[in-house]
Amino acid sequence: MERISIEERDDWRAQAEEVGFDFHTFDGEPYWDETACYRFSLAQIENDIEDPSEEIENLCFEVVDRAINDSEVMARLAIPETFWDYIRNSWLNREKNLYGRLDFSYDGKGPAKLLEYNADTPTALYESAVFQWLWLEQAMEREIIPAGCDQFNSLHEALVDAFKAADIEGPFHLASCQGSPEDEGTVRYLEECARQAGLNTKFLYIEDIGISPEGHFTDLDDMGIATLFKLYPWEWIMSDEFGKSVPESGLRFIEPGWKAILSNKGLMPLLWEMFEGHPNLLPSFFEDDPRISRLGDLSMVPGLAAGYVKKPLFSREGSNVQIIRPGQRPVSVEGPYGREGAIIQALHPLPIFEGNHTVIGSWLIASKPCGIGIREDNSPITKDSSRFLPHVIY
Amino acid sequence: MKRSRSLKLAFMGASALALTACDQPQDIAIFESVEQCSQQDGFDSDSCQRNMDLAREEHISVAPKYSAIEDCEADFGAASCEVAPVQTQSGGSVFMPLMMGYMMGNMLSGNSRVATQPLYRSKDDPSNFRTADNQKVAGKTGLSTVPGKVAKAPTVKTSTLSRGGFGASAPSLRSFGG
Repeated sequence: MERISIEERDDWRAQAEEVGFDFHTFDGEPYWDETACYRFSLAQIENDIEDPSEEIENLCFEVVDRAINDSEVMARLAIPETFWDYIRNSWLNREKNLYGRLDFSYDGKGPAKLLEYNADTPTALYESAVFQWLWLEQAMEREIIPAGCDQFNSLHEALVDAFKAADIEGPFHLASCQGSPEDEGTVRYLEECARQAGLNTKFLYIEDIGISPEGHFTDLDDMGIATLFKLYPWEWIMSDEFGKSVPESGLRFIEPGWKAILSNKGLMPLLWEMFEGHPNLLPSFFEDDPRISRLGDLSMVPGLAAGYVKKPLFSREGSNVQIIRPGQRPVSVEGPYGREGAIIQALHPLPIFEGNHTVIGSWLIASKPCGIGIREDNSPITKDSSRFLPHVIY
Repeated sequence: MKRSRSLKLAFMGASALALTACDQPQDIAIFESVEQCSQQDGFDSDSCQRNMDLAREEHISVAPKYSAIEDCEADFGAASCEVAPVQTQSGGSVFMPLMMGYMMGNMLSGNSRVATQPLYRSKDDPSNFRTADNQKVAGKTGLSTVPGKVAKAPTVKTSTLSRGGFGASAPSLRSFGG
């Protein structure tokens, strides 16, 4: 694994705008960045990213299996009790999932360490699946990179196939929140994939969803919504006014309700508790775990001596994450999260390549690993403003 | 190869392509009763009854629903609505228009692409039969030819009591994906 500085395609901005990828630059700072790319060997991709991703997905299924039958676990995840049966049934009925992204700290050597699982509302999908693919083809054509390069990225094909296999009948609704072009872009791309799979789609905003007298959710044409892809976290659905109507609505959600267990940062201590010592996992604990709280000083906890990271159960885009190292001032990002409790995870700093802190997002489509996207930040905490860089296998 | 073989260039926010396949004209028949259907040449009373039963069943699920009878009558006219055999979540009554007839395939042309379904008459266009999706079918009973989209199965239409019950938990961030 190495970071290689390369020439930009001179027309990439025009191309991005032509295909509607208009958040390529944010506040004047580049978001899409092709002044460099990351190079991996095939063995690094297959042995260190792809295989562990599939294995972790299976460990996660064991966590779900346990959580749905354990009210103590559901309570620790701060999932409202009124949803326990609903989530349990969504798993027992094998409601199909579409996608997720595992974020790893990996420097090319040694096992990739799982930092968190964006199992419910991951973004940066379009740039991973399409714009990165397009870059590879053109960069080879224009001799920016050698011919014969490959990329770990069959995301687009996998998405279309997943929609073909999803058993969706009638119109398929997709929704995102108003006022977020980036999230809407992700959903519009998924809509395009669903269309390529032959589905009849309808986009609407989360805020425009209505409810009928019988308790069914409706779209702006007063049509009942049968299947809904929502780029809107489960914990918010459960706390919204319409949330209480979800269990009886008959609506099929993608992602399904059981993803509420996996998108929660509490997944990390649950994984550690069940599979302690797994090479891809980091020591993690619930903040109020008596095993660590009674020690007072967290650096006494096995695995945490070199520092630790505190993350709220429901944090997103790096908000409210705090890095604590012995003898150093904490590094943190402000944000609106954290009321529901937090986890403590052993610090495994992101590798630094030419001053950039690099995180690898490993995509799972219908639970199969099929691509990666790389983000870089100037600080050790990856945020929504972190840059996206393409990669090659060579 | 670890990447997609080809990629039909996926646009974000590409405008919808209207899918017009299968929209060939369909031969249909409209009746107000089983008796009327049985008198039509080539239609037997068993099939007429079976299709009427199907349409009555569909009627309950596809008829537009209202939580106030006034709203239903505003769309379908006075004394043209009935109580639906469903209730609101809080136990209140639900109203729907009366079924004024039914559509089925023309048995003479052996047309199987026609979805048997209930028909209605709206207050603003009482001379025509309309589907539950508010597609105009025809003004007379008996045999007709309609566009394919009119003969397809109706979507389950309902009414909306309120909107905006989702979205309140979102903090104002550029993105909350992750």
